Amino acid sequence: MADKHVSRHSMEITTALLTGAIGVTVCIGAWQAGVGWEPSGPSSGYFPFYIGVLIVLASLVNLGRALIWKRHLDEVFLDGARARSVARFTLPLVGYAAVSVVLGLYVGTFLYMLFAMRLQGSYRWWVAASTGAAVSACFYLIFEIGFQVPLLKGPLEAWLGIY
Amino acid sequence: MDNLMHLMDGFATVLSWYHITIMVIGVLLGVLVGVLPGLGAPNGVSLLLPLTFTMDPISAIILLSCMYWGALFGGSTTSILFNIPGEPSSVATTFDGYPMARDGQATRALTLAFISAGLGALAGVVMITLLSSWVAEFGLRFSSPEYFAVYFLAFASFIGMSSSAPSKTLVSLALGLVFATVGMDAVSGGLRLTFGIPDLVKGISFLVAVMGLFGIAELMVTTEEGLHFKGIKARIRPMDVLRTAAEMPRYAVALVRSILIGIWMGITPAGPTAASFMSHGIAKRFSKHPERFGKGEPSGIVSPEAADHSAGTSALLPMLALGVPGSATAAVMMGGLMIWGLTPGPMLFVERPDFVWGLIASMYLGNLVAVVLVLATVPLYASILRVPFAIIGPLIIAVIFTGVYQVANSTFDILLVLLFALLGYLFKKLDYPVAPLVLAMVLGDRAEEAFRQSMVFSDGSVAVFWSNPLVSTIMGLGVFMLAWPLVSKMIGLRAFRRRSAMKPEASQERPRQGAETPR
Repeated sequence: MADKHVSRHSMEITTALLTGAIGVTVCIGAWQAGVGWEPSGPSSGYFPFYIGVLIVLASLVNLGRALIWKRHLDEVFLDGARARSVARFTLPLVGYAAVSVVLGLYVGTFLYMLFAMRLQGSYRWWVAASTGAAVSACFYLIFEIGFQVPLLKGPLEAWLGIY
Repeated sequence: MDNLMHLMDGFATVLSWYHITIMVIGVLLGVLVGVLPGLGAPNGVSLLLPLTFTMDPISAIILLSCMYWGALFGGSTTSILFNIPGEPSSVATTFDGYPMARDGQATRALTLAFISAGLGALAGVVMITLLSSWVAEFGLRFSSPEYFAVYFLAFASFIGMSSSAPSKTLVSLALGLVFATVGMDAVSGGLRLTFGIPDLVKGISFLVAVMGLFGIAELMVTTEEGLHFKGIKARIRPMDVLRTAAEMPRYAVALVRSILIGIWMGITPAGPTAASFMSHGIAKRFSKHPERFGKGEPSGIVSPEAADHSAGTSALLPMLALGVPGSATAAVMMGGLMIWGLTPGPMLFVERPDFVWGLIASMYLGNLVAVVLVLATVPLYASILRVPFAIIGPLIIAVIFTGVYQVANSTFDILLVLLFALLGYLFKKLDYPVAPLVLAMVLGDRAEEAFRQSMVFSDGSVAVFWSNPLVSTIMGLGVFMLAWPLVSKMIGLRAFRRRSAMKPEASQERPRQGAETPR
């Protein structure tokens, strides 16, 4: 295993810490909402608080499995080549979310299809762009006109006068 | 007999051109999501759900349930032709389905799979027809403590029956329960766990969670493998279909056994995936030729398929009659019921018999439609998988994003789904089960309400959960399920020691088989 990689062992620990942190956050939030007893019964933080405690305890067991019992010690979580292909897939996706929030889903979808196809399949610009435009147009026909459910629109649609 | 009358009424509702068209659309869309990698039944149903908000509940449930049947069939198709399970529950079908198709018997493999799947589903529906009123009547006797006990049993069986480590299942389950509590507290009206973020006041939708956890995360794992399908050309010849249908009686024993396993695993929330693995394992163990398994043995296709589909169908019984779904997809559908303004559970049989029996009648027809349609359209769907993943992958993502937005017209959800995708990716890679999270998210509010009401009855004493024979029995079963991993380990260890003491040379192979079958 000369290649650089992320070990499963370290990811097991990271994930256990992550879920543990969520558990602690939940306990704090529930504590603020009140975990005691009210005239109408248990207060709103009561149930989530104890579930939060369960998450913390189970995360500790998972941490223990990795640290004490040494489970998954020599397994690979991600190696270089796989990390690259996951990144090629995931980065455009994150960009898609960010762009869509600002420019709306139609423009977002067009740009995402364009870049994702370029990046993952090395398609030519015009092929990727026309596929993107076609997908956006299909969404408009299916959702906006067919099912009459509006999708998120941005400045471009406002400028074109599409609502 | 009462049930049969109701069923006839149901058929009267369902047998209209409009509903048959909806069935066909549902099945076709279902096969599509079943065939496409990364888009499974739970995710497909979630995507379609926002579009049904304006439909009447009967048409909506027909659309969604037919999509479910279609997805189950679609998953088997890719398992056999491409050695890629479209659904987790069709993994066991690849063991013998793909080898048989590779030997040039693709039509035979597909026909065996579809017919046994159809029969499995049919058996599940018959069981639902016979038992549902009875279970619902039984459920009418439940009050809050019993309800909480049933939810507890469902959660406990997930932890006890899961193939993952119990602590990992517990984390997944508890996270789901917590996500369900975010936002407005339905009992007191107060806010909780919003941490001052206004977008969290409306709560976290389970649909967003499903699309992140099942959809995007699944695709991320798929891209790692660098997808290139090595498919087998499928051309369905009617003569081969008939010839294969004629050899079905030979597998009657395997079929009945698998259906029973499937029905049992579907009613208890172990789910179709566990059922298909277990059924394949048992078929191999009881076979006269265990060495043929994995090389295209027919009963190795019949068994997992029949169990998969009978479990998938049976999962709707507890959902309808008790409000406890038996699989992730059933959980999503139950969430849909609540969005349409229906309350799943025994009262549904009293208040909306037209809905319940319309759904049950549609299950008979829907599965029939599915078998016919899927046989007719296999070549078409197989050709979809020849479209490069660089186009299909982003397209699926785009569909998921529009679906996420449609859940609540919220831009916040678009960012939230990314967090769920990250969580789902970590969970998938590290063997945390994801289905319990979804189930807990759908059931969370109801479980909490039942818990709080019980606490009010008893003035805060947990003894209320052991206060009468009914609730004690259910709680006892739950505790037994929780303890099951320990119990089975002890039994396994003892058997292992005895065996290795008797036959030292056999000890290497035997325990591995034992570890496979409980799944």
